[in-house]
Amino acid sequence: MIELLAITDDPVAPPPPLRLVPAGPVAVVVGPAPEGEVDAEALWDRESLLEDLVDERALLPIRYGTRVEDDAAAAAAVVPRGAELAAALERVRGAVEVSVRAITPEGEEAGDVGAVHARLSGLAREHARHDGPEPLRAAYLVDRAGVDVFVAAVRELQQEHRGLSILCTGPWPPYSFAEPR
Amino acid sequence: MKDKVLAAPLNGDLDAFERKIPHLSNALSRRIDADPESVQQGLAQLVLTIVELLRQLMERQALRRIDGGGLTDEQVENLGRTFMELDRAMEELRDHFGLEPEDLNLDLGPLGRLL
Repeated sequence: MIELLAITDDPVAPPPPLRLVPAGPVAVVVGPAPEGEVDAEALWDRESLLEDLVDERALLPIRYGTRVEDDAAAAAAVVPRGAELAAALERVRGAVEVSVRAITPEGEEAGDVGAVHARLSGLAREHARHDGPEPLRAAYLVDRAGVDVFVAAVRELQQEHRGLSILCTGPWPPYSFAEPR
Repeated sequence: MKDKVLAAPLNGDLDAFERKIPHLSNALSRRIDADPESVQQGLAQLVLTIVELLRQLMERQALRRIDGGGLTDEQVENLGRTFMELDRAMEELRDHFGLEPEDLNLDLGPLGRLL
């Protein structure tokens, strides 16, 4: 049993024990399926692997826990969707995901998250707003070279909107932008 | 470990964000029931919930590592409970559809819905 980690089109082999399985126009980064129970440490280990990979190549993270029998099964799952995955890789190439959450501190009046989101969306290639308990939970696909400008904008927005507490994390692999269209 | 906080809130209160992490049991309250029409919706909801949970766990881990402190007893307990709920939910799903653990991945659409 092997675990599928990501789709890429970079031919350079990832560091062992990860391997590259060619699948049409793209390739799958696979590794041994971890044994034992899922825990936070396991998730974090996987995140670290993906982060090392995404530093050097365009990639689409695959949903956590996706396992198949062997290389042939991995290729068989991916090849039929090679073209759309290749297109999806173009969308994220050179960019990272930055996450922004905004909450209203206790005792404050609710701030204008719409304005925050609009400004940040303008600095991103793409954006995705997620449902959640916070007034704003969003992911932005930002050019690597534009991350500093994006973060500076977040800091400015935090100064302008005292009724909001804004937390910005990243850079993340493009989790929210990995789904082909 | 890389610092994942790019910009912290003015008051520096990262704990306020941690409290916003929902319990899986709440998120799964509308999970699969016997009505076939709700099955697809239930599956989709569960997948989304798990994805969101994973994401938030990673964020929380990142925040914790920056604080340099460990988790409090209560947080450890919450985390343990969350994973137990996750296990149980997955087991129910498998029972409901008569699937093996490996099938479940495929059934939920590996690569069909990337994380």
